[in-house]
Amino acid sequence: MILNTENNKPIYVQIAEWLETEILSESFKPDEKIYSQYQLAEIFNINPATAAKGLNILADEKILYKKRGLGMFVTTDAKEMIMTKRKNETLKQMVEDLVSEATRLSVAEEELISMITTVIREGEGQS
Amino acid sequence: MNVITAKHLTKKYNTGKAVDNLTFAIEGKKITGLIGRNGAGKTTLLKLIAGFHKQTSGELKVFSENPFNNLKVSSNTIFVDEHMTYPESLSIAEILQFAGTFYENWDEDLAKRLFDYFGFSKKQYHSRLSKGMRSTFNMIIGLAARCPLTILDEPTSGMDSSVRKDFYRALLKDYIEFPRAIILSSHLVNEVEDILEDIMLMKEGEIRLHKSISDIKEFAIGLQGNRETINQFTRHTEVLHESSIGNSAYVVIEKNINQSVLQNMKKAGIEVSSVATEDLCVYLTSKTKGGIDDVYNRG
Repeated sequence: MILNTENNKPIYVQIAEWLETEILSESFKPDEKIYSQYQLAEIFNINPATAAKGLNILADEKILYKKRGLGMFVTTDAKEMIMTKRKNETLKQMVEDLVSEATRLSVAEEELISMITTVIREGEGQS
Repeated sequence: MNVITAKHLTKKYNTGKAVDNLTFAIEGKKITGLIGRNGAGKTTLLKLIAGFHKQTSGELKVFSENPFNNLKVSSNTIFVDEHMTYPESLSIAEILQFAGTFYENWDEDLAKRLFDYFGFSKKQYHSRLSKGMRSTFNMIIGLAARCPLTILDEPTSGMDSSVRKDFYRALLKDYIEFPRAIILSSHLVNEVEDILEDIMLMKEGEIRLHKSISDIKEFAIGLQGNRETINQFTRHTEVLHESSIGNSAYVVIEKNINQSVLQNMKKAGIEVSSVATEDLCVYLTSKTKGGIDDVYNRG
């Protein structure tokens, strides 16, 4: 039986997500050159073809663009697009998982919301 | 361009067919992982490709030529396994020196740097090395030869885990610097999968699967939930693996099912997850659907 289904994402998806996070944190700004497939292969110890697949996902989503012979670059709207996508997909999925776990544990709506509020307040206190 | 093509390739021994009617192609400068259980026919296939054995029937082309007794193939191929033998009278430093004269692309500098890094000393003799050190030495030859076709048959046997990690990293770095066709056989899928581009999975002399590593991740899905509920959905599908505890079951099927069926499964409370490559390889090469559990489940 498999209990942990986390981190079972294909590596190229993980590469794409890692690059997205790098763009979100502004390690790479618009029109800046991003890592090549070979650099990524070295960094993560993965096959260059797998790294290229991760880059191509982002190129298909117009988060990166290709310059022939020069490599891949960050598009102007990249950061915004990633934020929208993550909100609509990743965050939404996490909320769904959160709610279904709360339902399983019979945690009422108010209780769940207060738990979330507490975590937010704690975060504010730290920063 | 295809480096290797095989059509209906078969190799029979007295005991039966070790390689049974294989048709496949390995193209370009890829790292291919040859995965399979003990006795699946991996080594026999690799030795046919290297030209060490002659096939019983079928066609095999390596660099467009029949590899058996072929000078072009043998000068462009290196075959590394734990049975590599060298002249007994030479020290390992002398072996490295001579090995360089056999291979056109030999990188002497790389060989020396690896030799020092892994702590070999010049006056050692190959036959006196420990099993792990022998494998490490063979690997140095395999990498430094930089042959257009590099075959590594269970190259890490006997190596400790830190040397294995170093080896895979060295292999990857060397491949990036000098791309070439590499075939790596192993039964430790999770250790090698990250550096592979393709996987060829063998079972009982046949190829069970030959796909890119990313396609393999998409090949199967795991269903977890109530056994009855899952059975309703999988009644007409081929089940690759199943195990159950009480009323709940974990069933692995091929992913080529309808998206709407998938949605219905989720609605019915079945958890759908991806299957780790290593687990999938185990399921696909297992003789029974339940694995070792079936041996003990007599009731």
